[in-house]
Amino acid sequence: MRRQILRAAAILAGLGLGIAGADAAPKGEITVWSWNIAAEALEALVPDFNKQYPDVKVNVVNMGHSDVFAKALAGCAAGGTDLPDVVTIENDEAEVYWARFPDCFINLKTLGIDKYKDAFPAFKWTQLSAGDAIYSMPWDSGPAVMFYRRDIYEKAGVDPAKIETWDDFIEAGKKIGAATSGAVKMATIDTAGDDGWFRTLANQQGCSYFDTKGEHITINQPGCVNALETVKKMVDAGILAQGGWDPQIQNVKTGAVATAFFGGWYEGTIRSNAPELSGKWGVYPMPAATKGGVRAASWGGSSLAIPASTKNPEAAWAYVQYALATPEGQVSMLKSRGLVPSLLAALDDPYVKAPQPYWGNQPIWVDVLGTMKNINPYRGTQFYNEVRGTIVVKAISDYLNGTFKSAKEALDSAANQIASSTGLPIAQ
Amino acid sequence: MGRQRTGAAIALHAALIPLALVWIAPLWMMFTYSTLPESEFYRATVPLLPSTSFLDNWDVLDAQTKGNFIRALFNSAATSAIFTVLSLGLTSLAGYAFARFRFFGRNALFTLVIATLTIPAFVVIIPQFILIARDLKLSNTWVAVIVPPLFSSVGVFFMRQNFMTVPQDMLDAARVDGAGEFQIFRQIALPLVVPALAALAIILFLFSWNAFLWPLLVLSKPEIQTAPVALGALVGLNRVFWNAIMVAAVLMTLPMLALFLFLQRYFIAGITAGAVK
Amino acid sequence: MRRTATPYLFLAPYLAVFAAFWAWPIIQSFLFSFQNTRVNPWRYQPAVNWGRLIGDAAFLGALRNTFLILAVQVPVMLILATGLALALNSSMLRARGIFRFAFFAPVVVGEVAYSAVFRLIFNGRFGAMNGFLGWLGLPTPDWLQQPWTATAVVMIAITWRWTGYNAIIILAGLQNIPRDLYEVAAVDGVPRWRQHLSITLPLLRPVLLFALVLSIIGTMQLFAEPWLITMGGPGNATDTLGTYLYRQGFQSMNFGYASTVAYAMALIAAVFSATQIILFGRQR
Repeated sequence: MRRQILRAAAILAGLGLGIAGADAAPKGEITVWSWNIAAEALEALVPDFNKQYPDVKVNVVNMGHSDVFAKALAGCAAGGTDLPDVVTIENDEAEVYWARFPDCFINLKTLGIDKYKDAFPAFKWTQLSAGDAIYSMPWDSGPAVMFYRRDIYEKAGVDPAKIETWDDFIEAGKKIGAATSGAVKMATIDTAGDDGWFRTLANQQGCSYFDTKGEHITINQPGCVNALETVKKMVDAGILAQGGWDPQIQNVKTGAVATAFFGGWYEGTIRSNAPELSGKWGVYPMPAATKGGVRAASWGGSSLAIPASTKNPEAAWAYVQYALATPEGQVSMLKSRGLVPSLLAALDDPYVKAPQPYWGNQPIWVDVLGTMKNINPYRGTQFYNEVRGTIVVKAISDYLNGTFKSAKEALDSAANQIASSTGLPIAQ
Repeated sequence: MGRQRTGAAIALHAALIPLALVWIAPLWMMFTYSTLPESEFYRATVPLLPSTSFLDNWDVLDAQTKGNFIRALFNSAATSAIFTVLSLGLTSLAGYAFARFRFFGRNALFTLVIATLTIPAFVVIIPQFILIARDLKLSNTWVAVIVPPLFSSVGVFFMRQNFMTVPQDMLDAARVDGAGEFQIFRQIALPLVVPALAALAIILFLFSWNAFLWPLLVLSKPEIQTAPVALGALVGLNRVFWNAIMVAAVLMTLPMLALFLFLQRYFIAGITAGAVK
Repeated sequence: MRRTATPYLFLAPYLAVFAAFWAWPIIQSFLFSFQNTRVNPWRYQPAVNWGRLIGDAAFLGALRNTFLILAVQVPVMLILATGLALALNSSMLRARGIFRFAFFAPVVVGEVAYSAVFRLIFNGRFGAMNGFLGWLGLPTPDWLQQPWTATAVVMIAITWRWTGYNAIIILAGLQNIPRDLYEVAAVDGVPRWRQHLSITLPLLRPVLLFALVLSIIGTMQLFAEPWLITMGGPGNATDTLGTYLYRQGFQSMNFGYASTVAYAMALIAAVFSATQIILFGRQR
């Protein structure tokens, strides 16, 4: 029904423009850069998109996450050469583009993004705008949750409903380790290439690299210190396996871990990589720092932007709107790859409330989305990627390896390095 | 004396054989890994013997690169060949000038040119990138891959050494016969240094075939990427298909190994250029 | 005749490329190193980059790692290469061709290809190295996830790739030493190991120096191996000047600071090479 209305509207709109004498429906070829499941989701969307826009050929290029970032930034630095027509940009990493290369992407206000202003939660726009311009359209959110193996927990006698704090989580990990004579770890952490656990636990406590205005360095504030102490406690307890993205997937597939801790978008990664484990997985909210504390945080989430160098802004804009600003686009990507919509209208879709067979018939999206309202706001700033890659990951790694005596000392050192690298003051 | 020598010979071989086995192991395993079914990769085995999955693994590689890997090998071969020919031309002309002419500023210029060998390429790579990508808008073209690295002065140095060995009488005789300077270069001097040209050609080709950093910066489109860039992208993917990567590594390495097997002499002559003399 | 424009015409094509892609860029990146390139448009603010460099712990860490490779890997590799060259030059050696192939073949293997292979072999969970160590009943470290072992893997990989290369250079030097020197020594009853000490090594000095300087320059700009094997990790444990510069220049797109790092790299390489030449290159 809704689709019919949309199509009718499209035809009407086309007629209207036709009368005005303009060339109505966008046509031609567009290229989209994205990564992993995000790219797969965008690709899966193309046939439906083509039902409305048969003359637009969409070409999705799946590159690694860091490759998309590096290549898009390089393209901007090269004055907008060799960029595609649509780029996927992780929200936290976005601001460097607008701050350093304000002419690299189309200000979407010129294409009429204002009409979607209320269609997304207000905070979603912060990192995607600069001054008066809006450069990117919000896509998914990354409310962090625990994905767990029902069978392994049950066998070890661990009840996920009783895991309320990180201390409970550690105890559960020890129990699972004991029940499997050490063969199964609680979860996988990447301490070599990323700081995801630290960042997310810090966000849970309202702390981040920078304050929400992006004016002060706050990484050595108590919330962050506590988050890092907690991470260290877990690593020292021996309940975590270590590994980057790919080993994590192997661990999930082979049952080397009982839990995966990520943003909600990891759902699609588990489901598409381990279809044979259908029915064995479940979801519970991330544990709190202290009993009764916040059990929500944000991990990731992306957006789509259109480079100013595109030769076909109409087709690119049509695709971005279809993918992100229609409930059918967003819900289709939720269904195919578990990407959590941030479009408010998509949250009313029946699929969101439905029990999921893969997840043992748990209506997981209700649980995942339920945490959204408790997520603390935060800000990446234009320095996010640089600071993370060259300073924070190293400081954490050094702390976990015993170079620093305390988490506070490690983060003080990181704060000083960030100050010398960015020129921003450290918050008192 | 004789027995002592035999003892020394045995000791030498006893030390060298295990070392040689260790040395060849990574190459051998690159090959055996490329024939292993993907499931075998995750079993912590030492792949001593080849298996039968090479073609299956090739299919994975083909799928992962969207059918572009053959293209990438072709791009590598073509750009390396063009680079080699151009660099041979430029550097033998320059090397000849430095070897056989006396002119104002020769020594200063030669010192400056040789400095490129001792200064890390990183110093020039950022302005090169800005020039090629931003100012000339040449990213994703063969020109971008081929032309900037032509500044390398290995060939200038090497060809100068070789042209210095050409007897002056032969050049003078040609001059008396009224030959032009370029004609003398082409018809007298160049034929005398053909072995050196061959050695240089091989080293230049090898250098270009394996080049990674510069092509990585200027080639982003899969259909124009060279093999090292395409392979590097596979290693950087979040989901790492080791079987596909090993096939790609084998395909990239095998042609050079074959060349090396047959033309070892020239490889060695090229590598030792400048070390002796 | 010789005072014509002819030599310049011969030089012109090469010099054109040289000027456009080397001489001008080297001046330009010097200018970049004084500019703040994180603002739009760029501004001349020398302290932003050069001031930052001195106190930049990540840069100093990359410098330390590079020095570590210089101090450990380069000497080990050159000693190994010298031994190998002596062995391959020995008249006692049988099946010389096979040995030469085994040690020289890595010379033609691309850095991307062999980095991938080493990354797989040293994978902590399923790599061949741990498969082998496990079979022997030895501990199986998670090579790429711990600072020291990750550094070791990078060093092992580079040693594998470049020992043969250096052996080729040293072998050429050995073959240039006149045979009669040894014959005279043999007649005088000098034992073989003394011959190497008193004839071979001194005469090899220029060649060894050449190999050493090449290795220093190569190590200073080491990039592909740490980038592809460990991504500079864990943390920044295997970050080198090359990977740090790449991160600053082409991931953070901070061209100014990356140029500063590049100049620092070139300066250090120059100082090191010059020191080696002065120390070991003086005439006897």
